Amino acid sequence: MSGEVRVYGGWRDDLGLKVIPTRRLARDVYEVFIGPQHPGSGHMRIIIRVDGDVIVEADPDIGYVHRTMEKLGEIRGWIKPIPLFERMAIHDACNITLPYVRAVEKLMGVEAPLRAKYLRVLLCEINRIAAHLYGFAIFGVFLGHSTMYMWAMGDREVFIQLAEELTGARLTHSYPIPGGVRRDIPQGFPDMARRAVKYMRKRLEEYRKIFLDNPVIRSRLEDVGVIPKRLAAELGIVGPNARGSGIQYDVRIIEPYEVYDELDFEVPVYTEGDALARTYVRVEEIRQSLRIIEQVVEWLEKKPREPIVDESIYKKYPPLHKKILESQGRAKLLPWMATMKVPAGRAIGRGETGRGEIIYYVESDGGMNPYRVRIVTPSARNAIAFKYALPGHRVMDLPAIYGSLDYFPPEADR
Amino acid sequence: MSLAEVAAAIIGWPPVWQVLVIGFLGSLVIAVLAVWFERKAAARVQRRLGPYWASPRLGGLLHLIADMVRYAFQYPIIPRTVDLIPFLAAPIAGMVIALLPLAVVPFTSNPAYWPLPPSAMEYSLLIALAIVTLPPIFIIAAGWASNNPFAVIGGVREAFIIVAYELIAILGFLGAAASTGTFNLVAIVEAQGGIMWLAILNPLAFLAAFIAIVMSTSAFPFEIPESEPEVVAGPFTEYSGLLYALNMGGAYMRRFALSIILALTFLGGWYPLVPGEGLLMGYILPSVVVVVKAVIVVLAISFLRAVYGRYRLDQALDLAWKILLPMALAGIALGLFEASIGLT
Repeated sequence: MSGEVRVYGGWRDDLGLKVIPTRRLARDVYEVFIGPQHPGSGHMRIIIRVDGDVIVEADPDIGYVHRTMEKLGEIRGWIKPIPLFERMAIHDACNITLPYVRAVEKLMGVEAPLRAKYLRVLLCEINRIAAHLYGFAIFGVFLGHSTMYMWAMGDREVFIQLAEELTGARLTHSYPIPGGVRRDIPQGFPDMARRAVKYMRKRLEEYRKIFLDNPVIRSRLEDVGVIPKRLAAELGIVGPNARGSGIQYDVRIIEPYEVYDELDFEVPVYTEGDALARTYVRVEEIRQSLRIIEQVVEWLEKKPREPIVDESIYKKYPPLHKKILESQGRAKLLPWMATMKVPAGRAIGRGETGRGEIIYYVESDGGMNPYRVRIVTPSARNAIAFKYALPGHRVMDLPAIYGSLDYFPPEADR
Repeated sequence: MSLAEVAAAIIGWPPVWQVLVIGFLGSLVIAVLAVWFERKAAARVQRRLGPYWASPRLGGLLHLIADMVRYAFQYPIIPRTVDLIPFLAAPIAGMVIALLPLAVVPFTSNPAYWPLPPSAMEYSLLIALAIVTLPPIFIIAAGWASNNPFAVIGGVREAFIIVAYELIAILGFLGAAASTGTFNLVAIVEAQGGIMWLAILNPLAFLAAFIAIVMSTSAFPFEIPESEPEVVAGPFTEYSGLLYALNMGGAYMRRFALSIILALTFLGGWYPLVPGEGLLMGYILPSVVVVVKAVIVVLAISFLRAVYGRYRLDQALDLAWKILLPMALAGIALGLFEASIGLT
């Protein structure tokens, strides 16, 4: 410890030390540690240095909810990582596990039947809406708009119930499995889904009135936290944040998986790059997801039911399992899947979650466990945006920018 | 005189009565009501139930009392790093002084129940406004004494807001004085006899004064010094237990005191009731009318929470200096014009 120390407080601690040595800062700069125990920080810490009311430097300090997802993925077989990886973002469970399942499918050489693909897309879009609504709720409370918080959290319930109807679980559905999905749609689901879509369209209009067109909220978001297109590309920002900066990048379009190439939907892109543009991208994405749900439900209703697991797996089903699958639409996980061996090889799974692109790199050495699972989550890639979007703004812009980035620490820390 | 008579005389003396009974007890009851209304109304807008379990039959009305009991018995944690005397004194002084304006405002036109002698009553509006400007200093002191980055930032924000709203509040209320040509609150109320309220005659000054009240008591959309996502609880971050409750109660009491001044200057005071002789007609009923009007203002301010988010500090200051200040000045000009043509 060299030379100068600053006196903070000037009190004597238990050891009789009179001062606490602290790091010397530039003149007139005040260092504030926001988080991890702070109502506005989430499970992370943002270290900001402020000159007056203006942030001159920001450091996102992540890692507080690191749960060794990648290491745990190497020791529990091929199936059990699915419910594990869901814990990264439980409100976006299908989106976040589907790429892993697809990577394992590539290694196993199986493919989900068409109906299962539609079902996967259906749950993915339900999850996407729920994830965006969750983001809106947090955003609302960050801006002090408690009504938006309550509305979005309440309306998210509609889609959670929809997912529950489809999968039997509200949040961690563990729905896609290698070679298919676990359940077909129950009776009455299409009508329920259509009602939910209609309801949500109406609600989006009300959101616009109270939140997006609210003069207070608009003045908080316009021209705040601008990430120019070039910077967004250089930082590798993904998802709605990149699309808010004018980058048309969506894995569903770039590299369509499942049945996204057969569906009619658009990827909204805004060029302003500010917090408002990112918010609008999410609103439009909810609209597009509603469109997708309508189309998928229509398809599922019209087409006759078929087994929702791959032919090679279906052949191994005992008669009882086949009967349950045909009569109730439930695909049982076969015991051998828990200890199955997957041929050696490497596979990449990509998918578009609510927050952006997620990539799984799965390597098998032919054993019962994955040799390596590398996960790159969208929030992990978006975290760097704090460092560049915050400086130059006022301290009160911090929650506006944080909320508009829809950063989710458990997902980033894995 | 027996001791009881002396005590009754002291309590019954209008300034003491107004501060202790109307001010302290009244605002406690009104805080219970206002907080309950704020939460119920927001819950209604947000499609949920709101407070309920503390008293299901009353719709959760007693929830705040349960909260206050909890605050009262909570262990107040005082960090070692604080500057102890200002830390303890600030919330108490802030709350007491927030109520002091009630010691000078009249609740009736009957001179027997004025809190001030008639000669001092001539300047009652000015005296009340002067006292109103005091409590925020204690909020800044609380933040500074806490010795915590969030508290200091919150205190500085409060300072910014004070500078902005104080002038507007005073100029807004002076708009009423300009309309009526007097600083005497009694005369201002009497000039509004019937429905010719100054809120209708001089809406500019009324609006400026109303928004200044919203700003001064950190209500939405100006809940900036205590803005949770950045500064935790602002100046009150290090407070807990009863001291925290005093801080929060101080804001409500200031809102109530300012609302009473607003009710007198712009909302017709005790009209439509005309005070007569005797304690009941001359003092109690008129003060009830004034308090009811003030409560309506308090509830209206509370409701803003359900609709608005939070302005950024610089935007709030922009609004104050660029829009509200000219508006308050225009309100004075309008008042003078109305006075010159004899409208009031």
